[in-house]
Amino acid sequence: MKTGWQKILLYAAIMGMEGCWLYAFMALLNKQVAGGRLSVPGILLLYPLAFVCNRLLQQLRWPKAGNWSVSWLAWALAMLLVVKVQMFGDLPLTDTAWLLSLHRSIAGVIYNFKPELLLLLSTGVVWWMGRRLAYLKVDFGAMLSEFQFGVSILIIAFFAVSQLSVELTNAVSVALVFFLFALSGISIAHAMEGTSWLSGLYQGHWSGLLLVSISLVLLLGLLIGSVITPDFLQLVIAAVKWVLHLILKVIAFLVSLLPRPEPGEPPPPMPAMPAPEPAEQFRLWRMPESVRSALRIGWTVMVIGILLFSLWRLSSDIFRWLRHRLAGMAGAEFEPLPGAFKADLLSLLKRMLSRLRGLRLPFRLGLKADAVLPDIASVRQMYRQFLRWAAAGGYPRHMSQTPNEYFHRLAGLLPEAEGDLDVITRQYGKVRYGASLPTEGELHRMSRSWHRVRQIRLKKKEASLNE
Amino acid sequence: MNRAVNEANRGIADRLIGNVGKVIVGKKETIELVLVSLLCEGHVLIEDVPGIGKTMLAKAVARSLGCSFKRIQSTPDLLPSDVTGIHYFNQKTSEFEFRPGPIMANIVLVDEINRATPRTQSCLLECMQEQQVTVDIQTVPLPRPFMVIATQNPVELEGTFPLPEAQLDRFLLRVGIGYPTEDEEGAILSRFQHESPLDNLASVIEPEELLEFEELCRRVYVEDSVRNYALAITRATRSHQDIQLGASPRASLGLHLASQALAAVRGRDYVIPDDIKYLAVPALAHRLICRTEARLRGRSSEAIVREIVSTVPVPVEEQPKSS
Repeated sequence: MKTGWQKILLYAAIMGMEGCWLYAFMALLNKQVAGGRLSVPGILLLYPLAFVCNRLLQQLRWPKAGNWSVSWLAWALAMLLVVKVQMFGDLPLTDTAWLLSLHRSIAGVIYNFKPELLLLLSTGVVWWMGRRLAYLKVDFGAMLSEFQFGVSILIIAFFAVSQLSVELTNAVSVALVFFLFALSGISIAHAMEGTSWLSGLYQGHWSGLLLVSISLVLLLGLLIGSVITPDFLQLVIAAVKWVLHLILKVIAFLVSLLPRPEPGEPPPPMPAMPAPEPAEQFRLWRMPESVRSALRIGWTVMVIGILLFSLWRLSSDIFRWLRHRLAGMAGAEFEPLPGAFKADLLSLLKRMLSRLRGLRLPFRLGLKADAVLPDIASVRQMYRQFLRWAAAGGYPRHMSQTPNEYFHRLAGLLPEAEGDLDVITRQYGKVRYGASLPTEGELHRMSRSWHRVRQIRLKKKEASLNE
Repeated sequence: MNRAVNEANRGIADRLIGNVGKVIVGKKETIELVLVSLLCEGHVLIEDVPGIGKTMLAKAVARSLGCSFKRIQSTPDLLPSDVTGIHYFNQKTSEFEFRPGPIMANIVLVDEINRATPRTQSCLLECMQEQQVTVDIQTVPLPRPFMVIATQNPVELEGTFPLPEAQLDRFLLRVGIGYPTEDEEGAILSRFQHESPLDNLASVIEPEELLEFEELCRRVYVEDSVRNYALAITRATRSHQDIQLGASPRASLGLHLASQALAAVRGRDYVIPDDIKYLAVPALAHRLICRTEARLRGRSSEAIVREIVSTVPVPVEEQPKSS
């Protein structure tokens, strides 16, 4: 398949994934806020529209501010069109009543969340996502993070649907479509990097193999879904309840065997409290209702702003962490490594702890900064993986061995990988002891070398050497 | 330092090593260590059997640098004034004048240093540490660069005076040359067949260039963990069961400086743990005093330093637990 088509398919896959969880969320909000009156697919149509519009703007190479202004102006027009069509279809276009209604709904956001406002927000979010996709560099890492994020959001949406008892009839279809897009996109992205088995012997049949694989996965999902029914889950819950009840009975029986304390004399009743003096009412100034209302609006806006800000910080931190992890593992394949999960979890907890420490601003002067730049962290992470790989193959580094000594030892065992081992060791030494930032080319070279080295099975090599 | 500077440093080092290598066959590591010592303005003690080329090495280094060279042949009747110089009465001018001794040179070869009496050996302490010499009431600074290359024979001990610890501590490195291999010895015979290559050896580095290189060595980056690694090795010598007197802080400093110089000679602008490991024996072993029991068991200070180096953890990424 040509690269251009692969790119288009990747964009379509991301669009599909994001469309699925957006649909689930919007359907939920539509039921709750607008009573199901709004057309969710109609709103979602703005997504491809935003993507195409922003891609075209990108081609024009205008200044950033101009580009941004035109894009959001287009959104405003599209939003007004959607509001007109979905909410005020019977009114003529020249009648300004629908515009006033939109204004009123925005002004009364504190008192009531109206469908007009939902349309305003949802079209804004959809437009922003389409714009973001237009500027996104699609690769394996991006696909993977989209998938991880999408699954989390989809689970949250379904949880909310179940808790609010909202009827979402096509939830299964949405989940299936999401996984279809996700698996297809990840597979294509992986194949594009030329590192998967699809780019090897089976290159000629890759589309057939891909379809079969995805069909099998979805079929398996359907089978599991058909076995684990609500009745089955009810049965499991009933069994657990019965076991808990039994345990409680046993505990109650054991408690009944303990001697009970003798009932003592009841304490004398407390004397009645004297009635409080009526408070003298003093009112210097009574706040007018209009000022009170304005302050209430201000307060609400501030609370919403703080909430949105904290959500933005939280999500940007999560994204940065994901990007950092993916950058460190660029070109790497995922495989279970003993202790890797524990190390990751500990690292995350340490980061959270350091963030909490960072809140103590007045005391920060005494703390020593221990931040490592992402490129340096990537090289060190790669070398840690290399150490784990060699240790798993039965050749751990001795604590008194320097990286160069270790390289000579491994190079003796793997003469065919000597060049790659040299690149890894040399680059690590430069970054670790020279405190110099690796260039993009050096990082790429090291990443490629590490990728080639990890393909070698060290244990097999040892066996063959023994023979 | 940028890459071009590193390459230039490497070029200077290669020029010197190559030039000395025209005379001293196949002893690149020893020549490299002498260069390291020179770049740290430190002194070298060459300890090896006679006829190995100790004097030849010192002369070749001096000629390659275009520096002044003097030789002091140590004997039991050598006096401190024979080394430092004297004030004599000039009858023509009717004034006392200072006549400098052989110590007033860039490269000073003190041959068979352990044959000089302790009194004469001690007069070198001030020269080696402070790079100056005090005669009567006058203090005269020594020329820069200044380096003492001393030799001693470890086998023949009759009529010798072992160097005191304070004297040994002033030597940055102690190196051995060792016997050449068969091929190397063959090459020596063919090179020296008609004339000594030392006679035609040209200067390849100017003293100013060398001083500039010295300045660059001080700017070589030493990462904290690598510095701590060097410290850990030095400190381990103080608590080792077979050692009576461990390495001094001067030894730590010497190891640190020498590692910077070695990194620069090898074309790097940062020190790696390999540099520390490589220099641990030449920089530390001669400063240690082994316990009598250890000596009786045949343990040498070199072996003890090697043992320490093989137990001190090298600062690398965290070792995987699963191994």
